[in-house]
Amino acid sequence: MTDAATIQETRQRRWAYALLAPSAFWYLALLILPLIVVMVYSVGERAPTGGYQAAFTFDNYLNLGARWTAFKNTLTLAPAGTLICLLAGYPLAYFLAVKASPKTRLLLLILVIVPFWTSFLIRTYAWMFILGGRGLPQLLDFIGIEGVRFINTPFSVLVGIVYAYLPLMVFPIFVSLEKLDKRLLEASEDLGASPFATFRQVTLPLSAPGVITGCMLVFILLMGEYLIPQMLGGGKVFFIGNALVDLFLQSLNWPFGSACAMALVVIMVVTVTLYLKATRATGGRDVSLV
Amino acid sequence: MSDPRKEFIAQLRRYQMGSISRRHFLGATGLGTAMAVMAGAVPGLRPRAGFAAGEIGDKVSLTSWPNYHDPANLEKFTEMTGAAVELTVFGSNEEMYAKLQAGGTGWDVFVPTNYTIQNYVDADLIDPLDTAQIPNFDPASYSDPRMSEPGTIGGKIYALHKDWGTTGFVQNTKELPDKLTSWKEFWDIAKDKASGRVMVHDYQLTTIGNALKYFGYSFNSNDEKELAEAEKLLIEVKPHLFAISSDYQPGMRNGDAWMSVAWTGDGKQLHNDIPEIIYVLGKEGGEIWSDFYAIPKAAPNKKGAYALINFLLDPDVNTAELMVHGYPVADKRVIAKLPPEIANDPIMYPAAELLSPLEFGASDVLTNPLRAEIMARFKSA
Amino acid sequence: MLRGYAIFVYLFLYAPIALIVLFSFNSGNNASDLQGFAVTWYIKAAGNTLMLGALKNSVIIATASAILATFMGTMAALALQNLRGPLRVLFDGLTYVAIMVPGIVIGIATLIALVTTFDVTNALIADLWPGEAPPKLGLGYGSIIAAHTLFAMALVIVIVRARIAGMDRALIEASADLYADPLATFRQVTLPQLAPGIIAGFLLSFTFSFDDFVIAFFVAGSQQTLPIYVFSSIRRGVTPEINAIGTAVMLFSLTALITAQVLLRRGKRPAQ
Repeated sequence: MTDAATIQETRQRRWAYALLAPSAFWYLALLILPLIVVMVYSVGERAPTGGYQAAFTFDNYLNLGARWTAFKNTLTLAPAGTLICLLAGYPLAYFLAVKASPKTRLLLLILVIVPFWTSFLIRTYAWMFILGGRGLPQLLDFIGIEGVRFINTPFSVLVGIVYAYLPLMVFPIFVSLEKLDKRLLEASEDLGASPFATFRQVTLPLSAPGVITGCMLVFILLMGEYLIPQMLGGGKVFFIGNALVDLFLQSLNWPFGSACAMALVVIMVVTVTLYLKATRATGGRDVSLV
Repeated sequence: MSDPRKEFIAQLRRYQMGSISRRHFLGATGLGTAMAVMAGAVPGLRPRAGFAAGEIGDKVSLTSWPNYHDPANLEKFTEMTGAAVELTVFGSNEEMYAKLQAGGTGWDVFVPTNYTIQNYVDADLIDPLDTAQIPNFDPASYSDPRMSEPGTIGGKIYALHKDWGTTGFVQNTKELPDKLTSWKEFWDIAKDKASGRVMVHDYQLTTIGNALKYFGYSFNSNDEKELAEAEKLLIEVKPHLFAISSDYQPGMRNGDAWMSVAWTGDGKQLHNDIPEIIYVLGKEGGEIWSDFYAIPKAAPNKKGAYALINFLLDPDVNTAELMVHGYPVADKRVIAKLPPEIANDPIMYPAAELLSPLEFGASDVLTNPLRAEIMARFKSA
Repeated sequence: MLRGYAIFVYLFLYAPIALIVLFSFNSGNNASDLQGFAVTWYIKAAGNTLMLGALKNSVIIATASAILATFMGTMAALALQNLRGPLRVLFDGLTYVAIMVPGIVIGIATLIALVTTFDVTNALIADLWPGEAPPKLGLGYGSIIAAHTLFAMALVIVIVRARIAGMDRALIEASADLYADPLATFRQVTLPQLAPGIIAGFLLSFTFSFDDFVIAFFVAGSQQTLPIYVFSSIRRGVTPEINAIGTAVMLFSLTALITAQVLLRRGKRPAQ
């Protein structure tokens, strides 16, 4: 290595440090520090009048079982919601990327994204009305199907989830399907493969990166969901997010809340890491976080 | 009614009468127009020389409860002072206390309930009020010291009486024709005929308190064994509930819910709009309470806070508030202005034998960790 | 069949939105009982100073955090391409965690960290302050912007890095071979290639911040953002005013989206 090259490398390194400094500061002050504080609080005690009091105990972690239902709900409804989003979103993405005419494709794609750009709260509020007694049930009643209830059930929460996050699933799948070389499909057909075989052996593997990204995005957001269960679950369908808000804003039990938050973070990191490992092994090569 | 703008508003109100809003109440009692006329004619409501526009800033925040103020009054305050009232609502005292304790709320005025004021004082979150800045406050005007005294702690006035009420339940008699009379019946029917149609507050004091009443225990009990029984009942009832929420009016109005734990004023508002919804006080007792206006120590706009409290305590404004929220006010100046059908209303002024078993909430209940945890377990069950 | 399915999905996506728009023109004052056609609620919303204040706050916060996130994120992404070793692994790990930690945890963690820090610093400032009323740190614009920027910045890093990975390196090397100074290379070669990624990052950051409720709910202090205002209104009992506000916001986003599209296309044309 020549001296010039070393100098060049040192210079580059300095540049890199300078460019990284602001974001490093941000990570330190707003990610690492708060997580450390949460970790410290999670081994503390609830002060007699609520809040935090210094201590060193693992009682809060040992007590996590008291929120078992919240963890169970989250860990069943988040994957279920992700799966439904995938099953509902894939055909649409396929239609947009493969079947739709190029002229209308952009318009149709924008139409999928537009709802995502409107207020999440207001969209969810609309479902409160649709699924409430004056909405769909009344309509069903009118045509003779009586006594159907939707609102404040796991079903209504799932509807809200699918509605809110479908665009996030469709978009990455569309992107990976769009890159797909249509000639491959034709070739497969020419070689006498059934449409199903073509789909299974050509389309699906090629769209895997989009599927993996979409599932991960939706899953991550669902694990921390608070608003949808709150608004469409009537305080009955309880996610960890709801338990957290409750612990911080109602029970004033910051240490236990911190322990729940830590548990949630650990669950997320572990599942997503395992998921990425597993999907990498099965051929999703170009997986990125977004 | 010569002012065309007021005429228009009055017309608009009449037009809205067919809807299911709380303003319906004004119209239905024939007082809507009268109130509007009064509001315009009363000198106290005109801009006072003391308040030049913008003098108290352009915003005063008011943290209160659902369905608890007359929007027209708040608009009037803005007209008079140039300060918009930023209204936020909460569903439980715990939530208010937690927010204020965490700090940085920016609240100017908030509405705590009697039993919590001691906690706010202990936690050094509120200051004694400078009553000189509230000319409409008159200590001699209170009709019942039990309603006003919790605001005074250690001889200092920390909070001023807003209104009082009871915690009972509302029942839709079209769906559930047998009129209930007790908390025992309420919880029993919740698991039976009313399954899937019952709401309870997202508020430990009333939800746990009225579950305690099922067994005849004190509403304020902190006894572990008694609380364990109440928790068992709540967990049993949980699958039969429609929702756990303190915003129960929408559910009751659109028919999703047939019964709900409820406060006086919501009972009154619902009954006025939908007569088949009745308000019931359990014969075992339950809660009687009084709400107060207070100013957080950290209020960013104290001047605005005093102005808003003073405005809301103006007997005419206060009467207008009462006509909308339907909670009784223990201020003789207000009581004197009430039309007889309101002053004798059985929801707002229940019979003595129903009132006597009621209990005021106790301050140690607010921060009791066991009650907090039971509520949290019930919600996440 | 696929076409039929697509139509069904579009119906599913747009029925609630149509409902919101429909009820925004309701002349009655209940959000679930259609009584007639009027624009009353739009007029009311336009004169609602609190809503406008919340909207202004949301725009300021979203703009500030999107700008911060875009700058810092792009800088970090550029730095990371030349970096190897533990620092890079650490940075990638942090980006990964920042995206993965749920908003609600970020909100809570930021809140308790800030409150704890303020307790200490405010006491310190009060001790050192010579005058009567020492300044006090508190929650507000700053805390919301800071917390929003964290997630948005991680998002920008990921997007811009993906773009860098797909960039034509030969061009940069060619430019360097032609003895262009690094800054000129960056401005004339690297930046134009990264631009779509940077713009996408900015737009995503803005949208995320503009629509976020959960983080702001915890760290907002006295500042109301539009989502907090809307949430509070839903609890207070809904009038069609909320629908009017929602419709207006929707139109605003749509216009912004289309404008961005048009600008992007126009920007591309001369290069082709």
